[in-house]
Amino acid sequence: MIVIGEKINGTRKEVGHAIRARDEKKIQALARIQVDAGCDFLDVNVGMPPDREPGDMVWLVKTIQAVCETPLCLDSANPEALRAGLTHINAPAMINSVSGEQSRIDGILPLACEFKTGLILLPLDETGIPKTSDGRMVIAEKLVSLAKAGGLSEDQLYIDPLATAISTGTDAAMVTFDTIEKIRKAFPGAHITIGLSNISFGMPLRSLINQSFLSMAILSGLDSAIMNPNDRQLKGAMLAAEMLVNKDKYCQKFSRAYRSGKIGSEAAGTK
Amino acid sequence: MDLNLLKEAVVEMQEEKALSLTEEYLAGGAEPLSLFKAYQAALAEIGKRYEQEIYFIPELIMAGEMMNTASNLIKPLLADNAGMTENKRGKVLIATVEGDIHDIGKNIATMMMDLNGFEVKDIGVDVPGDRIIAEAEAFGADIIGLSGLLSLVFDPMKKLVEALKAQGLRNKYKVIIGGGQMDDKACAYIGADAFTTDAIAGVNICKAWLD
Repeated sequence: MIVIGEKINGTRKEVGHAIRARDEKKIQALARIQVDAGCDFLDVNVGMPPDREPGDMVWLVKTIQAVCETPLCLDSANPEALRAGLTHINAPAMINSVSGEQSRIDGILPLACEFKTGLILLPLDETGIPKTSDGRMVIAEKLVSLAKAGGLSEDQLYIDPLATAISTGTDAAMVTFDTIEKIRKAFPGAHITIGLSNISFGMPLRSLINQSFLSMAILSGLDSAIMNPNDRQLKGAMLAAEMLVNKDKYCQKFSRAYRSGKIGSEAAGTK
Repeated sequence: MDLNLLKEAVVEMQEEKALSLTEEYLAGGAEPLSLFKAYQAALAEIGKRYEQEIYFIPELIMAGEMMNTASNLIKPLLADNAGMTENKRGKVLIATVEGDIHDIGKNIATMMMDLNGFEVKDIGVDVPGDRIIAEAEAFGADIIGLSGLLSLVFDPMKKLVEALKAQGLRNKYKVIIGGGQMDDKACAYIGADAFTTDAIAGVNICKAWLD
């Protein structure tokens, strides 16, 4: 699984405050704690207000790169902020995200091609999120062919099957699983990633729902997630699911995470 | 006939029981409007349970469906919907603003406004500001509800409020912004009258404005 750590997000109050206050220590601590948990990318979202985004993005990129080499996933809908961040990036980066909305296609896709970054694709457009997996595939196919035409390889594409709230439609998760299976079949070389927490919106015991959802999505073919890498329970569910679908040789990822105390109960020696 | 029994069935999410009681009472000659009021009382209780985190969004949606089913049975029995439209609290125009397509919050807010007696017009997602203003004018809205999840929506919302001012319409409408990222800072930046992160809380704000 390719884990994209979600914590450096300016729309979270304390992070937004740290960005505006230029609190390097706070941001660097958030980067380190996620890197130590073994995440593959760090999502970087500067939050609001829009007119500050480019400057804040550059500061965040520099601040994070000063303490770790983990690739960054620049998360913004604002092309100026993305360009500003990308010009200061060291390691191969990712952009979160382009969708089927024309303004995003025009503003964001060319940046991914120019800077040769990874790119998260959202199969939604001006009319919203298609209710069926077929509707989502139409947009995904269009975005994949535009990205390929711009010079990106399938391996650089991270397609998000999208999750809508199970509280507002009980077929929501099945549509996601169905979409994952169709993406896997149509684009075997592409990655499939997802923001997990939408699924449990409006429900109690959200983390339990998120864990079950992640496990089932992994069975469908999910190979990446935008998540909190320090959530031990979620991480445990993820590693167990990967092992159970035969993607963990000799169960070593799971066992190693157990031995180093990264999953399971925090009390030592618990089996 | 026991209207409390009906109210309780709705509050307890007993869909079939609520429907059969409604049909039974209507067939027995009950005053249709009194049944409608029992549903509204049930809904108020369901809203309270939601605020107390006893109920969650699925219960709100199920309540909305029970209410719709009942309305379809009751409305044809009322002359000109008498008592149902004249009780309307006021008119709310609601939209997800330009640049955003999130609609879960907007749809729940629309449903809860409707169930709480507002006349609501939902004009969809990714709607440009000038169209929102034109629709509000044509609809005769009292309140404009702007929805959006992304921080990207702050600027289009701000522009809309400024356009209202420029056209001398700002005092004609109350403007409420809704979405997961709304807070007092966003509200001040945009120049809205209120913000909400929760549909029920938003309904309560609008009730306070118009009651």
